[in-house]
Amino acid sequence: MQVKIEKKFEVKEPVEKVWSLLSDPTKVVASVPGAKITEKVDDRNYKGSISVKVGPAVTDYKGEVHILNMDPAAHQMEIEGKGQDIRGKGSASMKMRGELKALPDGSTEVITSSEVSVVGLLAQFGGRMINDVSNKIFEEFTRSFRAQLAEASATTTPPDAPLGQTPGAREPGDEPTSGTGQEPPAAEGARHTRAAPLEPEPIKALPLILSIFRDAFVRFIRRVFGRSAES
Amino acid sequence: MIHKTSPEVGGMGHSVKRKEDSRFIQGRGNYVDDVHLPNMAYGHVVRSPYAHARIKSVDTQAAMKLKGVLAVITGEDLEKAGLSWMPTLFHDKQMVLATGKVLFQAQEVAFVVAEDRYTAADAAELVEVDYEELPVLVDPHHSTDPDAPLIREDRDEKSNHIFHWEIGDKQATDKALSDAPVKIKLSTVFQRCHPAPLETCGCVADFNPATGKLTVWETSQAPHAHRTLFAIVAGLSENDIRIISPDIGGGFGNKVPIYPGYVCAVVASLTLKRPVKWIETRSENLQSTGFARDYHMTAEIAADKDGTVKALKVGTLADHGAFNAAAQPSKFPAGLFGICTGSYDFKNSFCEVDGVYTNKAPGGIAYRCSFRVTEAAFLIERAMDALADELGMDPADLRLKNFIPPDRFPYKSPLGFTYDSGNYKAAMDLALKQAGYRDLLKEQAEKRKKGELMGIGISSFTEIVGAGPAHTYDIAGLKMFDSCEIRVHPTGKATARLGTKSQGQGHETTFAQIIAQELGIPVAGITVEEGDTDTAPYGLGTYASRSTPVAGAATAVAARKIVEKAKKIAAHLMEVSEEDLEWEPGKFYVKGAPDKAKTIQEIAFAAYTDPPPGLEAGLEAVDYYDPPNLTFPFGTYICVVDIDKGTGEVKVRRFIAVDDCGNIINPMIVEGQIHGGLTEGLGIAFMQMIGYDESGNVQGGTFMDYLVPTAVETPHWETGKTCTPSPHHPFGAKGVGESPNVGSPAAFVNAVVDALSHLGVRNIDMPITPWKIWRILNEKGQVV
Repeated sequence: MQVKIEKKFEVKEPVEKVWSLLSDPTKVVASVPGAKITEKVDDRNYKGSISVKVGPAVTDYKGEVHILNMDPAAHQMEIEGKGQDIRGKGSASMKMRGELKALPDGSTEVITSSEVSVVGLLAQFGGRMINDVSNKIFEEFTRSFRAQLAEASATTTPPDAPLGQTPGAREPGDEPTSGTGQEPPAAEGARHTRAAPLEPEPIKALPLILSIFRDAFVRFIRRVFGRSAES
Repeated sequence: MIHKTSPEVGGMGHSVKRKEDSRFIQGRGNYVDDVHLPNMAYGHVVRSPYAHARIKSVDTQAAMKLKGVLAVITGEDLEKAGLSWMPTLFHDKQMVLATGKVLFQAQEVAFVVAEDRYTAADAAELVEVDYEELPVLVDPHHSTDPDAPLIREDRDEKSNHIFHWEIGDKQATDKALSDAPVKIKLSTVFQRCHPAPLETCGCVADFNPATGKLTVWETSQAPHAHRTLFAIVAGLSENDIRIISPDIGGGFGNKVPIYPGYVCAVVASLTLKRPVKWIETRSENLQSTGFARDYHMTAEIAADKDGTVKALKVGTLADHGAFNAAAQPSKFPAGLFGICTGSYDFKNSFCEVDGVYTNKAPGGIAYRCSFRVTEAAFLIERAMDALADELGMDPADLRLKNFIPPDRFPYKSPLGFTYDSGNYKAAMDLALKQAGYRDLLKEQAEKRKKGELMGIGISSFTEIVGAGPAHTYDIAGLKMFDSCEIRVHPTGKATARLGTKSQGQGHETTFAQIIAQELGIPVAGITVEEGDTDTAPYGLGTYASRSTPVAGAATAVAARKIVEKAKKIAAHLMEVSEEDLEWEPGKFYVKGAPDKAKTIQEIAFAAYTDPPPGLEAGLEAVDYYDPPNLTFPFGTYICVVDIDKGTGEVKVRRFIAVDDCGNIINPMIVEGQIHGGLTEGLGIAFMQMIGYDESGNVQGGTFMDYLVPTAVETPHWETGKTCTPSPHHPFGAKGVGESPNVGSPAAFVNAVVDALSHLGVRNIDMPITPWKIWRILNEKGQVV
């Protein structure tokens, strides 16, 4: 199953600062829920893992990240990741292009476009589910990335921070976000700034499952009232 | 004319309430999962997440360490025992547990056995399989491309092509097509769907080391054939194997094949010397067990300007998945698809089918269908509508013009079948009358003027069931006869055992009614047993609407053998010669002196207490019935739909089903079968598909995506019947179980296409979802 995801968001930080964070895989990964870098092979190749939990199914993808292109002048990058679930639930791969644009007011627009390919258990949930899951992951990423930027402004990042350490563990349920696509206010990110190093957590089931099943439930209700049998 | 017995006797034609229902509605059925044995262990299958991948390693250590785990069986373990592959029911073999590589998503890779189900499921997650993904082949149209990945490395033939099959006169058909003033060509797909029986597949295998006997409770529609195949595959002595099919919660062809889970449970029981239970989950059932259809078909019809059909040419690509596990007679790679000339008098026809492998679950089973007759009926009924559209002719008139007339039966079809009997016009006339067809046409014309979308669809299908005559029909070499053994007890009650196996069809009632009809023993005093290979006579099982045409015939013939013997006893009791006796169901009486009679009960008693000198005691008979021909039920279905222009939703407003299945045993059960089959047809037409994405991920693998019609979606079914008995069947019956599922999809689709035909729509492939219709309406600027 292939899903194309295109997302944009703005951060109130200058482009160079955003780039310094975005161009460092060990730091970017900290903003991806459930992800961590376990080994740096060289400047362009890393090993890592990502854990995604949907209902009772936890998929732990272990794999590799390759930087295909990194252009500091144009603020463009291209990375590729591939992983296989250690318990035989399938594999996932992603090719992501990222670009930063300086905006006239001094803030930065982050533009990403990704092609995600999923094989196995997660892919069986069908397009609806995959889109919901990736939207949720992206929402988490955006929030976390902002928090990391805010943290970088508020404090000085300790130079000896462990690889890929998440600066703050986030529960999607912490905030009353409703639906995908809604951007939390920028200030919200700062609230998450915590010093304590925490293990990355898989993207959590409950709110995700609730939003997914809420949608499914609505579809079911429609069906009961004979309005549609969606395919 | 069939003698009508009293309601107490309850023979043919009585709507006797189903004897089996009292235990079903009280929750006292006995399904495989109700079988609990002391010391029973539980199995769980580890399945492949990939559609095509090389297995680099299987690590079972972590799973084995989990407390309560008894064994983890892998493909390599089975290979050592020579059991990693098993034969399919159709000239192919299938992996039991994968070795080397996996060929479809959800394929069986390992089998974990534990003290309880939960531990087995948890341990299955701990089996670490290292895969290397391979290119995936999903689209059957690319199966034979030069760069297509080779799916079956085990075969000598290094190709994804399985078979080419053709029948008919190609030259004459091509000539008719090139000469004809009117031609149509229709390409359509009968999508991959799944029977999705209420009860999934499963078994309990119990090897008793003290007796050396293996007992397997199994969800099987064909227990005797399974026993023979188990004996051959596992090298066990057939008398030491007992297969019991207890109550079965729906089969519809899904429970004909032998699945890897059964074999694994048997191997586990033989190894552990304990009973082992394995029950599928719903997703496992949908994703890995026998699918149906997946026929990609093209029909061409040559006709005269007045609508007279001349020739039919059919080409089909059949997607069989990774193994050809079709369950069908072995001389027929495309089953009975040659029935595709349908109810029409084509002078010439040619039909060819190519089967190919893809990275999908294996199958090609006959889902409530007599071996591809559903695909055939769908194609011809859709094609006839395409021809009507091309000619600007009413589809009912076109059909009436081309029906094989009643005086042409037995009718030899251009593709080689001999239709036993038929009166297609009678069924059509009744359906048109019941529907009020001409008024519906007027209503449709008025609605069109107002911009409303209403469609009327007709399907006048011909079925072919009751396989089949031994000279032509066998499955895996076993001839397709069936059997019945009747024992009449001293008190005049009877027990009958058959080689078939009910999965909800009501055999305990209908076969008792046949005996009641033949012997005059009240139906309440007759017990029908099936499904236990230790007690029942050998038979090929229940599928393809063959039980009444074959085992039902065996029942009648066995009963008639009993009447023959009863006559000798009656003559002895009344001290008259046999020639002086006359039989009516329930008694022999002396010709001209109806008061001088002996009832079947008196005769049965005498058979054990006072048998005539020289005649062996007892009153029982067995018959293995080899049908002289198949039977050809038929009918006309009319569907009326309204389409919501805002949502694209199709509402089936009315559905009129006129069936002709010959003489009827139990009208209530026939009615129930028709309701059930129409509802399944509705699901196929509008809701169901086992789809795959480009990586081979199953997209219809749960009931979230594979929808089953409920009472909400199901319209009111209006039924009717005509009666054209089969001339060669002992009591003129034809079989009905699958007719509604065979005949209805074309009626639904024809109605929807008819509703949109004025917009230039000629074909819509199933399932016809609101999304599909909405997109068409949107494209045509019709969405409101």
